Order: sequence, then C-alpha cells, then structure tokens
Amino acid sequence: MQGEEAGASRVRAPQDVAAGLFLVAIAALGLWQGAELSAGSLGQVGPGMLPRALAALTGLCGAVLVMQAFASPGARLARWPLRGPLFILGAAVAFGLTVRPLGLAVAGPLVVLIGAMASRETRWIEAVVFAAVMTALCVGLFKFALGLPIPVAPWAIGY
Amino acid sequence: MGDLAANLSLGFATALTLQNLGLCFLGCLVGTLIGVLPGVGPIATIAMLLPLTFKVDPTGALIMLAGIYYGAQYGGSTTAILVNIPGEATSVVTVLDGHEMAKQGRAGVALGIAAIGSFIAGTAATLVIAALGAPLTRLALLFGPAEYFSLMVLGLAFAVVLARGSVLKAVAMIVLGLLLSTVGTDLETGEERLTFGLADLSDGIDFAVLAMGVFGFAEVLRNLESPETRDVVRGKLGRLLPSLDDFKRCLWPIARGTGLGAALGILPGNGAVLGPFAAYTLEKRIAREPQRFGRGAIEGVAGPESANNAGAQTAFIPLLTLGIPPNAVMALMVGAMTIHGVIPGPQVMTKNPGLFWGMIASMWIGNLVLLIINLPLIGLWVRLLKVPYRLMFPAILLFCCIGIYSINNNPADVLLTAFFGFSGYLLYKFGFEPAPLLLGFVLGRLLEEKLRQALVLSRGSFAAFVERPLSAALLAVALVTLVVAVLPAVRKSREEAFQE
Repeated sequence: MQGEEAGASRVRAPQDVAAGLFLVAIAALGLWQGAELSAGSLGQVGPGMLPRALAALTGLCGAVLVMQAFASPGARLARWPLRGPLFILGAAVAFGLTVRPLGLAVAGPLVVLIGAMASRETRWIEAVVFAAVMTALCVGLFKFALGLPIPVAPWAIGY
Repeated sequence: MGDLAANLSLGFATALTLQNLGLCFLGCLVGTLIGVLPGVGPIATIAMLLPLTFKVDPTGALIMLAGIYYGAQYGGSTTAILVNIPGEATSVVTVLDGHEMAKQGRAGVALGIAAIGSFIAGTAATLVIAALGAPLTRLALLFGPAEYFSLMVLGLAFAVVLARGSVLKAVAMIVLGLLLSTVGTDLETGEERLTFGLADLSDGIDFAVLAMGVFGFAEVLRNLESPETRDVVRGKLGRLLPSLDDFKRCLWPIARGTGLGAALGILPGNGAVLGPFAAYTLEKRIAREPQRFGRGAIEGVAGPESANNAGAQTAFIPLLTLGIPPNAVMALMVGAMTIHGVIPGPQVMTKNPGLFWGMIASMWIGNLVLLIINLPLIGLWVRLLKVPYRLMFPAILLFCCIGIYSINNNPADVLLTAFFGFSGYLLYKFGFEPAPLLLGFVLGRLLEEKLRQALVLSRGSFAAFVERPLSAALLAVALVTLVVAVLPAVRKSREEAFQE
C-alpha cells in the first residue's frame, strides 16, 4: 500500500480519512463506556475484555485507514444532502414518539407526510390522500386482521 | 435411506396440514409482494413481516417465515428482470441478461425460467438438507467451544473475502459488528456493558432493529439520492413458458448453478451471495458464444437464479445443525425461532422432529407455491412496480415502523432504528459495506460465549485452539482465506469478478 510518491503529505483519499476518523471516534466512545468494566484474566475473562479489545481494534483499523489515505489515492467524499436523512429519520422518530400516546391513526399519517417531504417530487394532495388510505389499510391489516396490540386511537376510541 | 424417507414423510405430514399449507402460501405471497418493491431486500422484508407470524404456533410460524424468505428472494429476481434495479445483492447478475431479455419482449420467459430454475434448485437443495441434516447434527456433537469459535472465525474470514472494495474496510466492519454485539448485559456477570445508561439497551441491540436501520432505512435514503432511473418494462411480457429450445439451453446451466449454489450456501460467512456470481462467470466461460452474455442470454438468467435459490436454502444447514447463522437472513430466523421458544441447534432435530422436518418439507412446497402463484401474478407485480417511488417510499417507511414497533411493542425500538438508519447512511457515505457488519454482529454473542468457555476450559491458554485438530484445521483455512484475500493477484481478479 506504499504510494509511488513517498513522502507526499497531502490527503489523497478524503473519504478514507473521514471513514477512519469515524471509526476512531466510535472506538473512543467504546473505550470510554467500557472503562469501568473489569477485563479479568485470560483464564477467567471478565465482561470488559472483549468490548475493550474490539474497541481498540476498531480504532486501529481507523488509524490505518487514515494513514493509508495519505499514501494511496482513493474516493472523494460524496455530496451530503440533508433533506433525505432529516425527513426520513424524522418521520420514524415522529412515529416512535406518537404511536403509544396517540395511536396509529396519528402516527401513520405523520410518517407518510413527514417522509414525503424528503422527496422533491411529492405532490401534496396526492400525499394526503395516500396517507389516509395507507393508514386505514394498516389499521385494518395489523390491528384487525392480525390482532397485533398496536394502539389505533386511544384518545378517541379507547384502544 | 429408510431414515431419510421416514423423516421426509413426517415432514410432509406436518407441512401438508391445511393450516401449514395456508401459512406457506400466505408467506410466499406477502414475501413476494414486499420483496418486489425496489430497494427492499429479503432482510428488510423479513424484519418487516416478522410480527405477522406471532399469532401462529412455532412450526407454522417458521414455515410461514421460510415462505416469506423465498418469496422475498423471488421478488428480488422479479424486480431485477422487470426493472433495471436488483432488489438485493444476490440478483445483481440477474439484471444483466434478465433485463436485456425483458427489453427484447421476453420478460415472461425470463421470469418463467427463473421460477423453473429456482424450483429445480430448491428441490435439489431440499434433498441435500434432508440428507445432510442428520449426519451433520451428529458431527455437531463433536464440536466443543474451541471448534465453534474457530468455525465462526472462518465464517468471518469468508465474509471479508466476499465483501466488495477494501479488505481493511471489511475487517473494520466485522470488528465494529462484533463490538456492537457486546452492548447489553454480560451473560456471565450480569453487568451492563456499553449501554450509555439506557434501559432500552440493557438487553442488547435487537438484530431486527439494526438490520432494518442499516438495510431498510439507509436503503430508502440511498434511493432518494440517486435520481429515479427505474426503467420498468413497457409493452408485452410475452409468453411465460420457455420454449423447448430454451429448456434445452438451460438444462445444464440450471444443474451447474444448483450444484454451485448449494455448495457455496453451506459455507459460513454468507457464501450464498457468491453463488450467482460464480454461476454467471462459469456459464460465460464455458459458453460456445460468450458474446451473447449481457445481451439477453437465457443461460445467464437460469444459472445464477438456480444458484441463488439453492444457496438461499442450503444456508439453513449451518443454522439447523450447528445453531450458527451463516448470514443476516438466518440471523433473523434465529430471532424468530427464539421468540417462539425454539433455540436453533442440533437439539432441534431430536427434540422437535416435527418442526425440523416440517420446515424442510415446507421449503419444497414453498418453491412449488412460488412457481404456481408467480406465473399468473406477474402482471400484478408489473403494475406494482409502476407505482412511482414518491408514493412507494413513504409506504415502505410506514411498514418498517409498524413492523419494528410490533416486534417488542416498544416505541424506543423505532427511535433506535432511526439512529441505525442514520449510522448506515454514514457508513455508506464513508464507503463501508453493511453486510460484514451485520455478520459480525450476528456471530458476536456466540463467538464471545464460546471464546470465554474455551478459555476457561484451557485455563487461559490459546493453545487449545491449535491443539485440537478440528479447530486447528478450521483456523488454518481461515488464515489461508485471509492471506489469499490480501494477495495482490487475487485482489485484482476479485475486483474483476465484482465488476462483471
């Protein structure tokens, strides 16, 4: 993996630098969280040994990735549009927060509508109708046909 | 042989009850329905549909799950042929000639030969499982902790070789997966590990949550980013049944694909993924006119599809005999079995023969059902595939949320899935592949347990792993595999193989 231009100090694989630093950060997090666990001995492995060893290995992989990024060329970092992650994951979070207190009747349309904001192609009237239809369908399928204990609208009908 | 017949007849007696037959049928149907959606592979499909099986008895539930699995696999192939998007990793090569055939108005024949090839492969694989099940279970009894550990190390080594791109990144993903698997309460001491003080993490990370985040949500995010390039076949599907000439061309490719796929599927470390690639490369190498490949050669669909299905099925062998899930789908099966109180491993066959053989028999029935329901339903799948993505992804999202919530009736799981979805998206942006991460996670807990047991037995000496012949042999194969993966010459050809 030695680069042909030895001694070049410029980053030649920005994606790998980011990837390596990401791994190092996770390793640090793991080591910090696992710091108080006892490692034990090889004859009697404690709860802390594997987490610590694996975190260290993760960090090592990250460090090597970063170092390699100076030696050999690689991919650039891709564009980072925020719209998708924001609304898709936001929709899931909204579902998680509302499904218990407000039920599927609220959480369902929320997922579809917040999720729909992630795409530029969304047509709003269509999305609203689709949200209503999908929610009704899911209530029928999961609650009534399959009998899963998922709340529908506790504030209106009591379950 | 008498044993085999008796076992299979017990299996068929179990699988052919009206209820189980119905469940198998339903599983295949909904599995295909969800699996057809572009960007929804078998892993996300099974995680999503897991709650459907909660009300059924364990045998029925597993039969239905197996049906969902085959349905999802076949759905992926349907998407690959009708649209230029592979539904999942294993149907990547089906796109090459399958979609080409579809463009030439032979979509029906492509789908037909895929279904027929899959059925033949499934039949052979069912027999392989039935024949190997009993002897391998006996072999499993010879396995001590050291052998289990070494076998799993071998599986992880395979996963490194099979991952695309940088070897270092694949290793990093496996280690990260192993690290994630240590989150939660320690089995021996009951201490909480790496939970950040969150009560929802004290039982560890649920596999379905991780898989759905990394494969389900992250996949939606990736699809949204690349502009819509779906190229659903327009016009006629053509006839469904291949002509006699087509059959003649495909007979040997199906046989070779079945053999390759079945053999690779048994390997731990997701060997099944390799099957279709290997089958395609083989058919192209030995073809009299290799230039036909990529331009709609029917052999290029028949071989890989047979390999795909054979591998999908023989992947059950390590799970049912050793209790080791060889890939992410099988790990979900472990989760499903555990929910129903069945712990996968050699004891299933002795303690619960009805369940074991019933499931094996239902595999064959599932393949038959797929053949029957898919041929007439192809028109419906085509129409479903024409639904624009702007409507499809919110629906996928909603199903994912309801599925994840229903597994434990825990809203926190949905939040955690969103978190892993974001992590999966980051990993994708950093050029990592999620498959090795999942495999590391899948094997992590068992790996740690067996490592600790083995070290206790050997009083802290690693020599035990090399002194026991079986364990030493497994480790040696793992080492050779890894060395080979790093060798420059092999790396080059590996890259070429993935390019094709």
